[in-house]
Amino acid sequence: MDPFESIKATFFQECEELLTDMESGLLAMEAGDDDPETINAVFRAVHSVKGGAGAFGLDQLIRFAHVFETILDELRSGRLSLTEDVTRVLLRASDVLADHVQAARNDGSVDEARTHGMISDLQGLVGAERASELGFDGEEEDAGEEDFGFVPVTLTIDEPADESPPADVSDLIASLAPAPDSAEPQVDAALAPMAEAGAAPAWRVSFRPKTEMYAKANEAGLVLRELARLGAVEVELDTSAVPPLDQLTAEQAYLSWTIRLIGDATEAEVRDVFEFVEDDCELSIVREGEATELDAETPADATADDSDASAEAVEAAAAAPLDLDALLARVQGDAPAAEPAEAAPEALASAPAAETPAAASTDPAGLDVAGLIALAEKASTEQAQAPAAVKPEPKVESKAESKAQAAAPSGGPAAPAPTIRVDLDRVDRLINAVGELVIQQAMLSQRVFESGLARSSDVALGLEDLELLTREIQDSVMAIRAQPVKSVFQRMPRLVREVADMVGKKVRLVMEGENTEVDKTVIERLSDPITHMLRNAIDHGLERPEDREANGKPGEGVVRLAALHRGGRIVIEVQDDGRGINRERVRGIAMSKGLIAEDAVLSDDEIDNLIFLPGFSTADVVSDISGRGVGMDVVKRSIQALGGRISISSEPGKGSKFTMSLPLTLAVLDGMVVSAAEQTLVAPLSNIVESLTPRSEDVHLIGGRDAVIRIRETFVPLIDVGVALGFRDTPLPPSSGVAVLIESEGGGKAALLVEAIQGQRQVVIKSLEANYQQIPGVAAATILGDGRVALILDVDALVTSSRRKSAPRIEKRMAG
Amino acid sequence: MTKTVLTIDDSRTMREMLNMALVQAGYRVLQAVDGVEGLEVLRAEGADVVITDINMPRLDGFGVIEGVRADPSHRATPILVLTTESDATKKERARAAGATGWIVKPFNPTKLVDAIRRVAA
Repeated sequence: MDPFESIKATFFQECEELLTDMESGLLAMEAGDDDPETINAVFRAVHSVKGGAGAFGLDQLIRFAHVFETILDELRSGRLSLTEDVTRVLLRASDVLADHVQAARNDGSVDEARTHGMISDLQGLVGAERASELGFDGEEEDAGEEDFGFVPVTLTIDEPADESPPADVSDLIASLAPAPDSAEPQVDAALAPMAEAGAAPAWRVSFRPKTEMYAKANEAGLVLRELARLGAVEVELDTSAVPPLDQLTAEQAYLSWTIRLIGDATEAEVRDVFEFVEDDCELSIVREGEATELDAETPADATADDSDASAEAVEAAAAAPLDLDALLARVQGDAPAAEPAEAAPEALASAPAAETPAAASTDPAGLDVAGLIALAEKASTEQAQAPAAVKPEPKVESKAESKAQAAAPSGGPAAPAPTIRVDLDRVDRLINAVGELVIQQAMLSQRVFESGLARSSDVALGLEDLELLTREIQDSVMAIRAQPVKSVFQRMPRLVREVADMVGKKVRLVMEGENTEVDKTVIERLSDPITHMLRNAIDHGLERPEDREANGKPGEGVVRLAALHRGGRIVIEVQDDGRGINRERVRGIAMSKGLIAEDAVLSDDEIDNLIFLPGFSTADVVSDISGRGVGMDVVKRSIQALGGRISISSEPGKGSKFTMSLPLTLAVLDGMVVSAAEQTLVAPLSNIVESLTPRSEDVHLIGGRDAVIRIRETFVPLIDVGVALGFRDTPLPPSSGVAVLIESEGGGKAALLVEAIQGQRQVVIKSLEANYQQIPGVAAATILGDGRVALILDVDALVTSSRRKSAPRIEKRMAG
Repeated sequence: MTKTVLTIDDSRTMREMLNMALVQAGYRVLQAVDGVEGLEVLRAEGADVVITDINMPRLDGFGVIEGVRADPSHRATPILVLTTESDATKKERARAAGATGWIVKPFNPTKLVDAIRRVAA
């Protein structure tokens, strides 16, 4: 993937996390959390979405995020107070923001009308006056400024000045050129020849840094280097403000520069060079020729400002015409003002640089000023080609090197990585391998056991340890796939808000156990049933606010979504405090649809669970909200497909509770190992209701062929597994086998006739489709401890096929 | 002579973007996810330039600037703050706190590298 696309992918990934953070923050705020850090976190999330969107030119997203962020900022600064209405609007805005992100991700479009409505709702929070202060009058152009495209370009940094020794020398010479006592005339003299040449336009820049500039780690030399990129420069340093050594303060700024920039740079370009420092320096930029009055003004000001300092400097200069060492010390003391004086490597590094000019002059006391001017001229010409650098470079180099060495062992970014992202395929391969390991270990144990070795023998003891270790590995590997149900739960508040809005009910969603962990595959498939149950709870479970109030309940209904671990399974509960199941009505519907006999005697629980029957739907008109054209039977089927169960309990006037339980993983199954026709088979434990030994008088043949068995007062089909799967032709005499009563995913019951039950155990599921092909009646296969392959029964398919053959409504309760 | 740039931003997108542009331009890049970590990384590894976001958890950009300027061994490190056009007040606050310069988001690599060159030798 090209790096740009990959960063974009990262952006959308991050957006998901940000949106989640934002929503949980808003929900906390809704619940009364007014901690500034919560508001801050929400603000930051929206801000980051906007920031990233800016880089990718996602204009619509930016515009909306900008308004949202501005309102959050109002909240953050306390100009807007957090009320219930405010949080409600913010929550809706968060949904719209999520839509915008989604649209941007899929190159789709957003609902313009909704966006506009949302924007005006947000602006409405602060009132018209404040909204216009915040610049909400027109379209938010300030958020959509220039330079959106982030186009990767390969760049190199120009560093010629950094490495060339002449730059060091020239910069020192440039510093030295205007001797304090004769600064002005010399500058003029130096500039004269160029001014006479006169053809090229030139800027005259006077630059006098203030102490603050150095305190912010800006460096005059770098500014000059930037300036030199615009054209040929002639740099003059004014050291007249430098006080004698004993009065010199390391942090103080004393130097100023006059730069003549030749070339056709615009004033804006020149000014731009000083962007970072313009508030911390005295700066004048004038066209050469127009400069006369300003020129006269600037030095006068400067002299007035530093009259004391320059007077002293002049005195000092008079006392000792030119003490090179002292001057060097001054220059050193000034330029690196912001650098700590005690930084040893720098001091060492700068020492050789200081020696260079001293060595160049044979007689420091009688320094030839004219010679220096000549050198200065040469330096100016050199600087015209190479960017200027005022600071001796070796310092920085050595500093950078020592840092690079110190940093080298750690390599990349120092940010600690608490998590790693791993391709799911790799995890699955590992899980598969561990599954094989478990099987292999079980086989080995069995072989050793069969070989008659004593249990206390070294081999047997070692195997026991191996078994423990294997289990531990299996658990740990399974835990890698386990994730908190949060990822599913966090999508639900929005759903609840939307459904509640749509049906005009007030709903508060309470979530518990979001950190309960379950296998990733299970999580993915939890979303639909939970969505469906929540819709159902709001649409059918909860009453309208006025009805609730009439019944003495608060107008706002409460829906509780909870996850917990129970008995090695994950249990999801969806509970509402609504009207409960209307049993009369449910019963009536079930009867009218022929699902139960008119005279059937059903317990309350049984009536409640009728809603899971295929073809049952309590909504008179199939509601677009809870129904979406499917009933609770679909929910039940999808849960059972995961090896789960669902049930409902209800209390009239108080509410209903749906409880579904699912296995923690789909890779391992709790099964009942049975034998039929000399085959070993596994029936999923979750489907098994009970097992019994059939008595011949309870078994009846319908149409002389299809057997049914009477279990208490119900008749259910009796399926001879050996025959059904084609292992043999003659049925097993019922009384010589065991009947296992199962309940299929569709809620249908049947009894499986097998020869014997071997026991109950956990088996690793091996897909038949992946390894062989699909077989009717068989869901998957597994390998048992003794190495035998055992088929896992597809209970649903078995029951369906038997029901197709059997008389309809065979399981109807018999009268009397 | 590879220069090291420390980027401090709580947004992974922004860190990756900075990283891409800076690595392409030949810098060595260190990353930190918030101000606290940023100061830790700076103290442990040093940097020639610090680029920091303003809005961050734990310690914001202003805190980073103050922390760097108060640290005798790093006070001279140039700091560039990431701001947006609409954040004029934040830019001013950052300047007052001692930011060396700023980069206006959204930025392109040229802008970014220009800003670094202006503050780092």
